[in-house]
Amino acid sequence: MNCKKSMLLSALLAATAFAGVAHAQDAEKQYRFVMVSHIGSNDPNMGWLTKSMEEFEKKYPNVKTEYISTNNYSVQEHVRLLEQAISTQPDGIAVPIVSSDAFEGPLRKAIEAGIPVVAFNIPDARPEGERIPYLTYVGGDEYLTGKKLGEYALEKAEAGEIPKPTHVVCASHDSAHQGLKARCQGMKDAMEAADAKFDELFIGAEPATARNTLQSFLQANPDTNYIFTVAGWSSPWAWGVAKDMGFDPDVDDKGVTVLTVDEGPVSIEGVRAGHVLATNSQGFWLQGYAPMEWLLWNKEFGYAPQSDILTGPVIINKDNADKWAELVRGVFGDKAYDEQNTW
Amino acid sequence: MKQLVRGQGFGAIIGVVVMLSAFTVVDFSGWWTAQTISNVVQFTAILGFVAMGQALVIMAKEIDLSVGSVYGLTGVAFITLEPTLGVTGSLIVALGIAAFVGFLQAIAVVKGQLPSMIVTLGGLFTARGIIYVWTGGSVHNFSAAARSHPITRFLGGELFGIEAAIFWLIVAAAILNLLLWTTPFGNRLLATGGSKESAESRGVRTDRIKIAAFMLCSLLAGFAGILTLCDRPQTHVTLGELMELEAISAAVIGGCLLTGGRGSLIGAILGALIVVSFRYELIALGAPSSWFITFVGIVLIVAVIFNQKLARWLGHSV
Repeated sequence: MNCKKSMLLSALLAATAFAGVAHAQDAEKQYRFVMVSHIGSNDPNMGWLTKSMEEFEKKYPNVKTEYISTNNYSVQEHVRLLEQAISTQPDGIAVPIVSSDAFEGPLRKAIEAGIPVVAFNIPDARPEGERIPYLTYVGGDEYLTGKKLGEYALEKAEAGEIPKPTHVVCASHDSAHQGLKARCQGMKDAMEAADAKFDELFIGAEPATARNTLQSFLQANPDTNYIFTVAGWSSPWAWGVAKDMGFDPDVDDKGVTVLTVDEGPVSIEGVRAGHVLATNSQGFWLQGYAPMEWLLWNKEFGYAPQSDILTGPVIINKDNADKWAELVRGVFGDKAYDEQNTW
Repeated sequence: MKQLVRGQGFGAIIGVVVMLSAFTVVDFSGWWTAQTISNVVQFTAILGFVAMGQALVIMAKEIDLSVGSVYGLTGVAFITLEPTLGVTGSLIVALGIAAFVGFLQAIAVVKGQLPSMIVTLGGLFTARGIIYVWTGGSVHNFSAAARSHPITRFLGGELFGIEAAIFWLIVAAAILNLLLWTTPFGNRLLATGGSKESAESRGVRTDRIKIAAFMLCSLLAGFAGILTLCDRPQTHVTLGELMELEAISAAVIGGCLLTGGRGSLIGAILGALIVVSFRYELIALGAPSSWFITFVGIVLIVAVIFNQKLARWLGHSV
């Protein structure tokens, strides 16, 4: 009996020891996750993603994260980067679905080859059964970004704080970007419900050309009283053009009202200075961190979320802009924050 | 009058007359307003600088695809260096950078015997890459003190009742036209572009002429970038993106022949006016703004055919 007990105890100890060794080996397993982004070093928002990935690496030292992106954005260039990343056989990929058609082929191949994929920032906009079978989407909802900002502006117009919209222009710097189109569409739906006329205007990303294009539009459409810039960095251009043309673009009950997006210093300081009515946060920090965490949990435990994970939109207005400024200063540092404020 | 007709920019003059007539018929009340003309002329002035530089290089039978990036790099250098060097210092260093880029490219072309299209394409990417790396994606702001500095106001505000950019364009166009048509340098530039061997047989140092043309081109592009920022310091790392295509279009529409040896600086400015006016008016007429590039393409092809036919009709060999 004692011998049996001793044997059982030994077996149990051995099993525990083996399990411990196995667990230790699992814990030490190294992973490499790649984020193939459309947000290049020409976009200050890249800092949110790279900094959150650095934090992730600190928490999970066995995971190496890589951030690759293109500056001169083109869908073809992005697909090329994605294919390059897949060929290195990473343990997981996070990618924005800028074009479902262009990304479908390479991503399906990657998923079939056992590489888990998380979509971030821009989802596959098609119905669930038709979309690329990624684990989940982590990011804001581009359509809701436009819609909620539009609804917020309408609330303020109803309260008499800003003029009621007559003609709204959505100024976009990339005419092929599905996410930007969705932002404009959200704004359009909100504004057309309030009987305002709506136009989408491709202004390009070059500052002088963009200003010239916007000038031309405002000159030909003087009834325009809301400008929605779908990038934070173009909001000072829109404000500057409207000011030069005598359209009183500051936030008050007359003239033009400017709305923008993003939680970058330009957008937040625009709100704080009274140049911009509101902007939004789509939870950029989480969009860098959460996809990595879900990829890790999927590799370690086989977890897959049951639905998309929305990190925004959160409206940033004059009531909470100071808090946001503090938060963003904490991420970028005071010097970088002040330098990036181009107002 | 005869000289005007025989000039290389005559096609551009006809183009401007036709364009203005068409805009008058289609959209008289929208086009002929002080605001529209002011906006169009101001942006034409900026593009005009870049187009004149491009015209000089094309006259020397080369091409410079890097002007948009040099325009951006100089502007970014001007703003980024200002906190350290002050407005005057950063202006000098930024223009020095522009001239240096032009010099490096010219050396690669004339000493390395490399096609200017390839060298300046490399320059386009390199200068844009430097902007991204240098700024980390965000261009610094221009301090309040820098905005109110006399040099900033001298280059960016209004001078003698007109926008400073327009004033400086008139000054630069006058100097460059004198340089081109009344000095040995102009004669040598056109001779170099017309027939390099023939020019060399007459003792013209074509390598030096081409180096000067490239440096002038980069300097003009850089100066345009600085003028833009002195006027509107709200910028981005995309400053000057795709401007090279508009500048080349303007120069070609303005009568510059890619075969070299012929061209017109006034034509290049009128070409810039046509390019800018088309964008402005298309949007004003409600066309999607992305159509602009299609129209530039059509106008470019029509202008090349028209300029060639005009040159042949006038008895020039093209």
